[in-house]
Amino acid sequence: MIAFWTLAALAVTSAAMIIVVRNLLHAVLFLILSFVGIAGLYITMSADFVAVAQVLIYAGAISVLMIFAVMLTPRSDRDNAGNMLQAPALVLSGLVITAVSMVAVETDWRLADRVAFESTATEIGDALVSPFVLPFEIASVVLVVAMIGAIVLVRED
Amino acid sequence: MAIDTEPLVVNIGPQHPSTHGVFRMRVTLDGERITDAEMIVGYLHRSMEKLAEERTWTQNIPFTDRMDYLAAMTGNLSYCIAVERLASIEVPERAQYLRVIFAELQRIASHAMANGTFVNDCGAWQTPLLYMFREREKVLDLFEMTCGARLTLNYMRIGGVAFDLPDEFLPQLRSLLDELPDRIAEYEQLLVDNEILLMRSRGIGVLSPEMAMNSSMSGPMLRGSGIAWDVRKADPYCVYDRMDFDIPVGHTGDSYDRFRVRMEEVRQSVRIIEQAVAQLPPGRHCADVPLNFRPPEGEIYSRIESPKGELGFYLISDGGPQPYRFHVRSPSLINLSALREMVVGQTVADAIVTLGSIDLNVGEMDR
Amino acid sequence: MQLLGRWYDFRDLGNGVARLIEALEDVGAPDGVIYAVTGLLGAVAILVFVAIAAVMNSWIERRLIARIQVRRGPNRTGRFGLLQPVADAIKLIQKEALQPARADGLVFSLAPILIFIPAILAFAVLPWGEQMVLADLNVGVLYLLALGSTTTIIIFMAGYASNNKYALLGSMRAIAMLISYELPMVMALLGVVTFAGTMQMSGIVAFQETHWSWLIFFQPLAFLIFLLGSTAELNRTPADISEAESEIVAGFHIEYSGMKFGLFYAVELINAVAVSGVITALFLGGWWAFGLEQWIPGWLIFIGKLYGVYFILIWFRGTLPRFRIDQLMAFAWKFLLPLAIVNVFAASIEVLLWREYDLSAGLVLPIAAAVNLALAVVLIAGWGRVMGAAYEQEPRRPRLFSEIDVPLPGDGPASGPAAASEPATA
Repeated sequence: MIAFWTLAALAVTSAAMIIVVRNLLHAVLFLILSFVGIAGLYITMSADFVAVAQVLIYAGAISVLMIFAVMLTPRSDRDNAGNMLQAPALVLSGLVITAVSMVAVETDWRLADRVAFESTATEIGDALVSPFVLPFEIASVVLVVAMIGAIVLVRED
Repeated sequence: MAIDTEPLVVNIGPQHPSTHGVFRMRVTLDGERITDAEMIVGYLHRSMEKLAEERTWTQNIPFTDRMDYLAAMTGNLSYCIAVERLASIEVPERAQYLRVIFAELQRIASHAMANGTFVNDCGAWQTPLLYMFREREKVLDLFEMTCGARLTLNYMRIGGVAFDLPDEFLPQLRSLLDELPDRIAEYEQLLVDNEILLMRSRGIGVLSPEMAMNSSMSGPMLRGSGIAWDVRKADPYCVYDRMDFDIPVGHTGDSYDRFRVRMEEVRQSVRIIEQAVAQLPPGRHCADVPLNFRPPEGEIYSRIESPKGELGFYLISDGGPQPYRFHVRSPSLINLSALREMVVGQTVADAIVTLGSIDLNVGEMDR
Repeated sequence: MQLLGRWYDFRDLGNGVARLIEALEDVGAPDGVIYAVTGLLGAVAILVFVAIAAVMNSWIERRLIARIQVRRGPNRTGRFGLLQPVADAIKLIQKEALQPARADGLVFSLAPILIFIPAILAFAVLPWGEQMVLADLNVGVLYLLALGSTTTIIIFMAGYASNNKYALLGSMRAIAMLISYELPMVMALLGVVTFAGTMQMSGIVAFQETHWSWLIFFQPLAFLIFLLGSTAELNRTPADISEAESEIVAGFHIEYSGMKFGLFYAVELINAVAVSGVITALFLGGWWAFGLEQWIPGWLIFIGKLYGVYFILIWFRGTLPRFRIDQLMAFAWKFLLPLAIVNVFAASIEVLLWREYDLSAGLVLPIAAAVNLALAVVLIAGWGRVMGAAYEQEPRRPRLFSEIDVPLPGDGPASGPAAASEPATA
């Protein structure tokens, strides 16, 4: 329980800091901290595979992508200055928050009565290739498309 | 799709492990690729050419030590030969041979250093450098035995050399000459076919023969670009015309060729020393030259083949005890002149390798 | 045997902990306390080992490199220079921790501290002995990879916060390299996991024990890929481009001085130990050594193997020059990754045949080992020939001329008249 609240506080605070800090690279670093906090939450739910995958993919890979994006931004001061999009962004994020809290309040939360999986990785693997094989394959096709697109974009000719 | 990026201006040097001293190269980078490079020299300028005008002809010899401190012997030699030609001093036969022996030993030591640091610049973690230092160390021992100094030798004198050989010199030289070919073979085994070294230096810092000639290159730089030119053959001094040796010449003029040319030159130096030792005549080691001698009025340009290239001295005498003008054609500076053309378009890592293959010596460059 | 499983059975320190748990249960301590006590015990033990290893490895590495480089290495402080690391540490602590004027202060200070976390955490899943795993995670292998990927961010933090161009170049290099090398390493480990059928570190060691063989024999290609990939992950030659001394001076930690630099240096050594430990556990049977663990404590065997691998890493460092960054990336993407994918494919087919047809392990595994070894040799040689550089055929030895020969510019090729050239005979 202590772990849950600590991690939740970590994730939420760092998520808030992403918006608050003005330095874009600091924002990315807070985002990573938030990812790590969420990974911790997964562990408290004994979803170790998901937690490790979260760290590996989000904290390790996606954030690097963001760092590259920030570093390639021409703006030299890398400032998170205010611009025209502030008002629409506020409205949009307000809507998202409302929707999420509506769902959270409305849902009939049941405590998990099963014991934790012996090995979640096996379960996930089984699930991916039997019931969810179609989304899985579609995801891989999308990734291949993205990869080919990236190669075409950077080809020098 | 072009993304606007800021060019990055980086100062490589003057404090940088790979500039071999205090040389500065200001490069403009696009990512890792060099789009512009500017050489900034002069951080080690000690005003030697001016200072030399205030000292007697003999007192100037130590300055030549401190120019190319990795090849002090050839610095001495070039200056002494220039003064001797200016004053028409006859140098005894034995001194001529001793000069050849020491100049070639110095070439071995200097090339060992050059190749070692070159491989170091390619990223080998000190190992080849320290291997080559082993041989350099033995050469320096020989120097120490003869003239007491290891780095700034001050061994050559106007009219000969300062000391004759000590008794234990020749046996120790013999053992060094015996083991050197094996050592060179060992280094070639380690480095020459090393895939990573080939990847790093093949096709890097290519200097075309035209470019090399137009920018007045000399030494291993010129020979690496495929031009068989060597002052020892072209304008023989001492007794090089009696020696039988070959000029190694590279194929494409890249960094690797220069590295191999130096490697091969060490072999040739061993050949020369062996012949010189075999022919070494008895006799005096120095002509009688008064300490305060005054060469007749006149001027001279005299050159020798130093390990780094054509080391020339341009001296003007007004008949006084000091040179009127003392100018050095230092190969390190002139070999650097094409660096910009060689590095633009390459990555930072390549520029370092190219710089390493030039074998510059800042002491000689800035004087 | 008499002392089997007793607390003083030093062949496996896990026995002692097991007795301790029993004793605590007898006293009636709650589960939480037992968990905390044993966890702390293990953590402290590992930290002590890591601390000693980090200190001593700097001495070991310097001595070994010195031997490779025909010199003596540190030999003045204490017997054989054993106190050299202590002297270094005192020097580093004394030094002022400088901070560049326009550095990003907090990030700058945090980076050397944060970089310790993944380095130390990696030790948690290493199987030191049969019962000596601090956290025997089900996803142990993946956990290690995740830790490796977080190091990237911290290196970037160090490089970015230093406000130094060399540091920035170094950290961008590090990021590009680490991301690239993650893929072949994951693929290589996938082959191992496919064979062992588990991602649990102790399970993988148990698999090797059950089948009386080390996984290096079943997965030689994966071993090589992982070893080469780990040199990149560790910033060691031939892949030390992110701190390439001769190019960008010290890369991402150029601006760090004093103990902050000391922390980076220590992490480098700790990471080397951790990676050696991972290679030991995954490919070299961990604490298990063909029955030798009956006589010698398993953890000693583990440490011995670990240092064997570490020696190979030092040897690399003492011998090889460095790649250029694009060559290093090309090596990862064009050479290691395809081989790793083929390796996973082969391993999957072998395991599929083995499990589906319920063949006996004694029959399948030797055949698989032979097939994989042949595959490794053929792939490396073949792919190397396909991808290898074209200068294989180019002449390398300088031509020898006995006469000077200067063609004028515009005279065509600079080789000069053939009469003057005298090709080398030797």
